[in-house]
Formats: sequence, C-alpha cells, structure tokens
Amino acid sequence: MGPSQTFSSGPELASFLVSSGVLTQSLATVHDLQGEIINQNEHPVRHKVSQQPNCTIIAFSTLPACGKDYIQQRGDLVSSSTLKKSFPLFNFLSTKTNPDFSINKAALELFASIRDRLPTLKSQIDSKPVIITGNSLGGSVASLFTLWLLEKINLSSTKTRPLCITFGSPLVGDDGLQEAISKYPTWNSCFLHVVSNQDPIPRVLISPHNPIDSIYKPFGTFLLHSELGCACFEDSQSILDLLTATYSEGPENQNPNQVLEFYEALVQHLNHKVICKDATQLVKRNTKSFEAGIITQLEAIGLVRPQQQQRNNGIDNLITRTERQEKKLVILKRHVFDPSKKLNDMKINMAYLEWYKKRFKDKGIGYYDSYKNPSNLSDLNVVRYKKILTCYWEEMVDEAEKKPQKEGASFRTRWLFAGTNYRRMCEPLDIAEYYNKGLKDYINQGRPKHYKQLEQWLKETEKPASNPSQSKKQNVAYSLTEDSCFWAHVEEARISCELLSSRESSIGEKESSKHNLVEFENYVLSLMKNYAVSPEIFLPRSSFMLWWKEYEEIIRKGIMGAAYYSTLTDLMKSRSYQNYATGGLEIP
Amino acid sequence: MASLNLEENIEIDTELIKKAYSLAVKAHSKSSEKAYNVEGSRRSSDPIIFSFSGCWSENGWYDGEPFGVTEINLPLLFPSLRSIGVNENALVNKAFLQRFVDKILGNSNFDREVQKAVKENKQILFTGHSSGGSIANLATIWFLEKYLRSDSPDNYKISPSSPLCVTFGCPLTGNHIFSHTLRRENWARYFIHFVMRYDIVPRILLAPISSIKLEFQKVFEFLNAKSVNLAHASIDTFDASNFYMKVMKNASSVVSHAACNLMGNTNLLLETVSNFIPLSPYKPFGTYVFCTGNGKLVILRNPDAVLQLLFYSSQLCTEEECADIAQRSLQQHFGYENELQDSFQMLNEVYLEPLEQIPLSSDSTSSDIATINSALNDLGLSTRARLCLCAARELEKRKIGNKESIDLKKPDIERAMKFLEEDYQLNGRHRGLGCYDAFKLHETPKDFEANVKRLELAGIWDEIIEMLKRYELPDTFEGLIDWVLLGTRYRRLVEPLDIANYYRHLKNEDTKAYMIRGRPKRYRFTQRWREHADRNKIPAESSGESCFWAEVEELRIKISSQGFEPIKKEVLQLEDQVLDWINNNKLDRDVLLEKSTFKKWWEDLPREHKLTSCIKDLMVVVGRSP
Repeated sequence: MGPSQTFSSGPELASFLVSSGVLTQSLATVHDLQGEIINQNEHPVRHKVSQQPNCTIIAFSTLPACGKDYIQQRGDLVSSSTLKKSFPLFNFLSTKTNPDFSINKAALELFASIRDRLPTLKSQIDSKPVIITGNSLGGSVASLFTLWLLEKINLSSTKTRPLCITFGSPLVGDDGLQEAISKYPTWNSCFLHVVSNQDPIPRVLISPHNPIDSIYKPFGTFLLHSELGCACFEDSQSILDLLTATYSEGPENQNPNQVLEFYEALVQHLNHKVICKDATQLVKRNTKSFEAGIITQLEAIGLVRPQQQQRNNGIDNLITRTERQEKKLVILKRHVFDPSKKLNDMKINMAYLEWYKKRFKDKGIGYYDSYKNPSNLSDLNVVRYKKILTCYWEEMVDEAEKKPQKEGASFRTRWLFAGTNYRRMCEPLDIAEYYNKGLKDYINQGRPKHYKQLEQWLKETEKPASNPSQSKKQNVAYSLTEDSCFWAHVEEARISCELLSSRESSIGEKESSKHNLVEFENYVLSLMKNYAVSPEIFLPRSSFMLWWKEYEEIIRKGIMGAAYYSTLTDLMKSRSYQNYATGGLEIP
Repeated sequence: MASLNLEENIEIDTELIKKAYSLAVKAHSKSSEKAYNVEGSRRSSDPIIFSFSGCWSENGWYDGEPFGVTEINLPLLFPSLRSIGVNENALVNKAFLQRFVDKILGNSNFDREVQKAVKENKQILFTGHSSGGSIANLATIWFLEKYLRSDSPDNYKISPSSPLCVTFGCPLTGNHIFSHTLRRENWARYFIHFVMRYDIVPRILLAPISSIKLEFQKVFEFLNAKSVNLAHASIDTFDASNFYMKVMKNASSVVSHAACNLMGNTNLLLETVSNFIPLSPYKPFGTYVFCTGNGKLVILRNPDAVLQLLFYSSQLCTEEECADIAQRSLQQHFGYENELQDSFQMLNEVYLEPLEQIPLSSDSTSSDIATINSALNDLGLSTRARLCLCAARELEKRKIGNKESIDLKKPDIERAMKFLEEDYQLNGRHRGLGCYDAFKLHETPKDFEANVKRLELAGIWDEIIEMLKRYELPDTFEGLIDWVLLGTRYRRLVEPLDIANYYRHLKNEDTKAYMIRGRPKRYRFTQRWREHADRNKIPAESSGESCFWAEVEELRIKISSQGFEPIKKEVLQLEDQVLDWINNNKLDRDVLLEKSTFKKWWEDLPREHKLTSCIKDLMVVVGRSP
C-alpha cells in the first residue's frame, strides 16, 4: 500500500451543485420576481415567496438595477459597534474572540428597510427546506436575511438549514464578518455565491491590484463559472485571488438590466455541460491527485487552457497557491476540536480520583484533607490526574464560550453531566491548594473561571429542586457534595473561629465572624436536609470535624452567647449525624 | 474451450455466458406463459440454467416514488439482508422484489426444480437480461440464504453446488446496505454483471421517476417492442435525447455526491444542498464487466468505483454527440450478443483492480500502465473520472487500514479482559461475591482497577462501533468470527459491570431503565453480531444473557413498588431464561452466591412461588460453596 492520497472535492461539489437543479430553480423565481410589473412608488426591495414541491423559495430584488459604478460609490462599511444599539439584529454574531465586524452600508440599509416584513417572511417557512435567493444587490439582501435567520431557527438538524444562493452579488462584509460566519461550518454551509467570469459586480469592492489585502472578504462557497464549466471554492483567500484572475471584461456584460438573462443562459449551459467529459490534460506525468483536482477546476473556469503545452509562470503560481490554500483549509477543518474522542480518557482519570477518594475515606480523613496535607506518593499521581482533567475542561469551557449563544447551549448540555462530576470531584482539591498557601476568600478571589461557568450552566438547565428521594438518601454515601465550594466555606468558618478566639481581633471582626458562623451553620444544615453533602465530611480527621471541635469550644466558652443552641449544634453534639450516611437522618 | 477469467479464482466458460444470454433474451418472449425458464442439458457436468424475463412498465420498475425502493423486511426469506450492528434492513426495488416473491416463489415448481438440481449436485446458474437480471439477483440471494449460508467453510473456488448469477444490462437492485451485506457474507463474488458502455438501462434507477415520467412510457414501449422483435423498432430522437439527458443529469448528481464523500469532502454545503433533492439510494454489488464497444472487457468489483463508472463511461465528449449517443444508449441494451461474440474471440480483459495504478492523464503511455490506460480511454474516462476511481480505491484502503489498526488493539483488549476474568473474579470469590455485586459495592482497590479496565475497554469498543456506524471498516468485518467471539466474551464479561455502575449511580432515576435508555451501543452491536453468526441455531434477540442483572434490578424495583402479582409473568420468564443460561454456561454460576443481588431478590419472592419455581433446585443446591 502506498502513501494515502488526498483529493480536492471541488470539481465534484461543483458538478453536484449544478446537477441538483437548485440553481435553475432559484433563478426561475428571481426571473418571475423581476418580470412583475412595477409601480411608480415601489419599495426599493421587493420579494417573492414561491412554494415548490421540494422547497420554499424566497427571492429578493432591488431597485434600481445597478451597474458597476453604482456599487463602487457605495463601498462604505458600518461597524458592529455602531449597529449595536440602532440595529441589534446581528449582535449575536459578536463573540468573545471575535467581537467586531462590518457590513456594507448600502446592503444593510436595504435590508433595514424591510425590517417590518421579517416576521411575515419568516412565517412563510414551514417544514420544507428554504432557499433564499437574489441577484446583484438583491443577493446581498438575501445574504443578510439568511444571516438573520441563522439565529432564529434551529440548525441542529440539517433538514432545517437554509440555503442562500446569490447570483452576481457584491461582497457584503469585512474579515470580521467572514470570521464570524466561517468559524461555524454549518453557518458557512448556508451560503452559495454564483459568479460569472464576465460579471464585474461581485468584483468591484475588491481592489484589483491587491486582492489579498481587500477590506471586503467573502464567506460561504463560491461557484465560479465560465463558458467552459464551473468550479467551487471555500477558502476566502483563494476566492479573492480567483475572482480577480478570472474576470474577463466584455461589452455585453455592462448593461445591468441584462445580467439576469446572462446568468440564466450560463446556468442552462452548465446543465448540459455536467454530462459532458472534462477536457483536462495533465502536462506532468506524475501529477498528484490533489493538484490534478485543482487543475481541473482552474481549467473549467478558463484559467488553464486545455492542451496548453507550455504553461506560464503566472498560472503555475496560481495553481500552487490555490492548492496550498485549499489544502490548508481541508486540514484545518478535519482537525476540529472533537471533545467526544477524549471524554473516555477523562473518565479513566476520574476513576483514579474516585479510587483516591475511597482510600482516604477508609483512613478516616477524606480526600480533601489528605490532599491538603500531602504525605504520601499517591498524592503526586493525583496531582497529575487533576492536571489532565483541568486542562481538558478548561479547553471545553473555552470552546463552548466562544460559540454564539445557541450553538454553545446545545454543546453545553451534552457535556454538562461529565463536567459537573468533574467540578464536584476536583474543585475541592483546588480549594485545598488555595488555603494551603495561606490565602483567604477563595470564592471571590481565587476561583478558576471554568468552575464558575460549569456551575452557571448547570443552574441554567436544572429543574426546580424537589425533596430528596428515598434512594438518594440511601445512596448518599456514593455521591459527591453538590456544592463544589463546600470546603471553601469550611475554611472560611475555621478562619472565623480563629478570629473569634483570638485576643487580637477587633470587636467588629468578632461580630462579623459570629455572623458568618451562624450563616455557615444554616448553610450546612440546608445541605444535609437535601442530602446534598457527602457524609465524608463527618470523618473524624476531616477539616469539617476540626471546625466543629473549634466551634464547640467557642460555644462552651459562651462566646456565641449564653446557652447558645441551634439545630446543627444539637445534631453534632448528639452525634445523630452518624445516621446521615445511611439516609436515616430526618431534619425538620 | 475458452473461458473468461474474472480473477479471484473465478473462471467461466464463455460458451456458457453466451448461452445464458440467449436464454435470458428468450425468456422475454415467453414471459406471458411463464415467469421463468429452466434449461438443463444431457451432460451432467453442465449447469442448470434458470432464466428470468424482464418487464417494461412503469409500475414494474417504480412502485412508489421517487425511486421505487422498499425496506426488505422478510426475515424468513432474506435474513441476511441487513446491516447487523446498526440494525437496519437493506432497501431493494419494490417492484422487482414483489415480482420475485409473487411470481417466482409463488410458483411452487420453482422451489421444487431448484431442490432437484441441488440434490443432483448440479451447479445452478441464474440469469436475466434487463430487469430480468434483477430477478435473477434476488433468486440467487434467496438460494444462498437457503442453501449456502456463511457457516459452510470458505471455499473460494466455485464448487458445483455454489450458484452463479450472470446478468446483462441489469438495472441496479438494492441500496448500500444491500451491497454491504453481499460483501459481508462473501456472496458478492457469485454475481457477474455485463454492462455495455452506453446501455442506459443499468443507469435508469439513478433518476427519480418524477424526472423522467414524460419519456418513460415511450422508451419502455420501444424496449418492449425490441425485446420481442429485434429488428423492427424505433424511437423518436427527441424523446431518446431527453431521456438520456435526464437520466444522466440525475446520475451526475448521485455520482458527484458520492465522489465528494469518497474524497473526504469537508464543505458542508454538500449536506445543505442534499436536502433539496432526492438522491438515488441504489448501489452496485458483484463483479462488473464493462464492454467498451471495441472488444475489450473492463472488470472491476469495488462498488463505489462501479457507481462512478456507470456515469462516467457514458458521458458525452461534446454536446453535439448527444442525439447519437442517446440512440446508442437504447440500442446497446440489445447489443450484448454481438459484443460478447467479439470480446470472447479476443478475450482482451483488463482488471482495473486493485485500482492502484490508474493514470490520471489519458495520454499516459509508459508501458506498465499502457493497457489500463487504453482501456480507460476506450471507456472515455476523463481526468475527473480517473480521480474518482482513485478516490474509491483510497476509501477501500482506508477501511483496510482502520481494520489493521483495531486488530492491533486486540492484545490490549485481551489483557484487560484477562484481568477481569481472572484477578477480579477471584478477588470477588474470596469475599463471597460475584463480579456484579463486588463492582456494585465498589469497596476494594481491585474494584477501582476493574473500573479503569472497564473504561479502557469501552474506549476501544466505542471506537469500533463509531467506525461501523459510518461504514468505515471493511464490509466483511461484522462477519469475522474472531471478532464475533471476542465481542461475545467481552459483552458477557463487562456488561454486568456497566449495569452495576448504572444502578449504583442511580442513573435509572434520572433517565430510565438500563435496557431502555442506558445500554451502550457496544453491547447492542456485539449481541447482534452473535445472533447473526448463529442465526441458524438461535432465534433473534435471544442472547441477552449479558443483561441479566439489569432485568433483576428492574424486577426488584417493580416488585417493591407494585408487589409480586402484577410482575409474576416477567418473573417466570426470567427464571426460565436463567435456567437455560446457567445450564448452557452463558451465565456464570457466581450469580447464585449467597450475597448476590439475585439471591437477595429470590429470598424476597413469595414462599409459594419459590416452592414451584423452575429454578428452586438451583437456588438450594448451590448454597454456600461456589
């Protein structure tokens, strides 16, 4: 077996797009819309909804029909920060890592002018898949409408994914917008832009001399076509490059009123072309499969001439460059972060920690306190397991956060069970490390961000608490303390005890310590009521029991007031907490 | 006597093929009298030939839109035609299946005549032209299911008792699972399909009926007339061209969609657009022999490559050719006789496989690939077509590579299982506990170690299951006896631990019973593997012994909430099964230990029930000593 080959699937995708018939269907609707009689005071943006057997088509068209110069004069961009208040429909595109983007002003104004039509348009979309289409600036409106739709509909099923097809539309936004969309392959997969090699409109907003540095950037997939055939590209650099390289100016393509007919003729032509052989002749004998795919594509859009024996350097460079960029994109997309692959490894690390926990339960100290006073070698291993787990979950939380609200939410629910388990198991170890350093106030000053997030997400999904079930009570010995910050509360309570007993503390300190201790009592009691705390806290050498000894002493001295009494102190003194582990403790 | 060598040790006498063709064509004209014909011969070494007639009507092809397929749900006739692990039945053309079941099997003579031939130890050849070929395919599969299940020792030489199916211009018959199944059972090698370069019929089912409805009737009238009288039939060029173009355009979308996947496409636009059009589910299987039209025969087996070739070999060179090729695409459906005559004289066959050396450029002349290159040129394959063939081969290679990489994990699986089988079991016994109960209590370091092993194994098996779900392992995988056995051992050993873990963490309270919501696919799959491998000996869904503990747990919960009486039936059923499993060593006797959850469950059952229970002896006799 030789080394594995890689392929460029662009030629096949292009073929599929043509033979699927979606281009013809969309153009027909645009054609109908443009053929409608127009009133004098017609709104500049018109639309048409067409119900077809296999789909719903929404077409947009703008007035007046615009030429090259019209677009060129309207190349201004509006930034997302300006839009934030005045037109918040696209705020969902801003994420933590990519907060800013800009949209072409002319396109945006056209879209904004149909804002009140949006709910009606959306209501036309039913269970059938939807195509949103338009040519020239109508296509830009279609793109923005689709973008708006992405937030409104559930994209988790491919069946509901909208498809936006534009014909000869100018570019819509800058690199920020490109980044925001292409980060989510499903979003990017909703946009298909059809561009003829003779149409100047899609190219006017690109600087012809330096396409790579263009402020405007394309997103989605571009289907470029010439009379020889068509080709498909997804990498935004390649698209800019090829949009410029393929342009061939001609007199017949300057009349904006005829552009639509021009596209209709081309698509018709392509329909015939798909059942004909491609004419690619490879010059080099040992051309690799990926390069061969790129050459086939460049030939189809008229950049490489068939039977051309001597290729010039420019073309060779273009082939190499396109190949490199497309390959890079493929590799990038194949190596997406896939947390499910590693989840099982994480479970193994968790099993080791469980083991550790169990051992120190049997020794009567509990894993929290054992970790706090590391005395044996197995603690070193625990440090390693914990580190692996922390790295994994930090990354997971980070990924989820980077996603926009909706995508992020579904991502989170899938991992929440494992994440919660991890948080309850591992955070006590972080707390132990923190207080070992002599620091205070972990919850406000020391708590790692990913724990906060995991807890927040759980709160968002949790059902209202009910009374603990019988089996939950009986099995409390196997469960982890629900509040992963429990030990931080214990540490704070011990600090309060220390302050109260110390002669150096001020009156104010003593009063607030008393207050804190009463709060802590209530907190522990409510956890016990709900069977939400592990019975391991009652192990004789645990920090919690150390606290109790200190606190008991304080009460005995009467510092908390004469004949201080509470439900918790009663439980502790009477040792009835011993029934807790078997589920036999009822707290009124 | 000349013979056509199809490699993989299959050779067929060319005279036999010619005879099969003439019988297949003859069957059409006799179809009104009989749905099939049998032809024996005086010499006992000659095979018996069953030939099937075709049919030319819309509902004889498309019974229901858009592609006329139906799920095969005939577990008695076709138990193997399903994907085992993912538990999905194959799809097959509904009209063809119905014709086979009603007209052929419904005719009691057919079964009898086949049986007679088998008894006489004659080789049987099933043949058909056009849709008669699809009937022959189904007849052959029926025969294989009945007489030659995969449990007979592998024999790569066609023995007299193994059947042969030869078709000519046969339409596609089933979907990807259909094709997968035949390769899994190692049956694909019995099927040989001859296809003329331009013959439209093998390609028709790549188009939905809605797209070709207009021309369908005329084309089929023409084909029908021609099947009866070869000379006098003609069709309007306009209709022929439209038909050809529409079929080809649909074929193009199916084939380019498939090619994107072969090439590892990463652009999700492919998925988005796929929602808008119906894509033909059909997929080829068996050995394809493409007749180039100039005496060459191009042979290949890779189903993905065959699908690509079906489209690319009948592409146009230029648009101007269209009318001419369209006529040819219909005429060639009846051109096999002459073509085979020529080809067999030259016996100029070219194997495209292992598809390793496909030259990408049509002017490749270096000597080692010149033959292949000229064959590809004879089929008119462009650079793109060649890239698609390479991609099909690449996928096959990747599948083999995946299999090799999981084979390398076998020692890891064995090691982890050995720990559970020996160390862990022994450790439990010292404490008077079976694995299940020991794991559920989770008290000793061994229990934690066992948990780590359980998770390590889960990782490996889940990876295998994922690959199977995406069909990324060779088709034969789920039939490989070593993996079936390993899977069964694994399931019996480790599933109880998963169940213990499930009920220990009360997952049944948040979700549902283990069997409903909690059972991992790695156990569902491996159970089905075994049930399929032993399908002659055991009924389906009968080897759930590894779920024993889940049933005990659920019955415990039910009895404690509803009492014994309403649950009695389920209790009796479980007891019957336990008796069977214990006697057949499918269930370890440690379930009967004094401290076992099962024993405790038993103790809580009403006394009167226990006195009459079928397992009362088991429960008493074993007592304390394991």
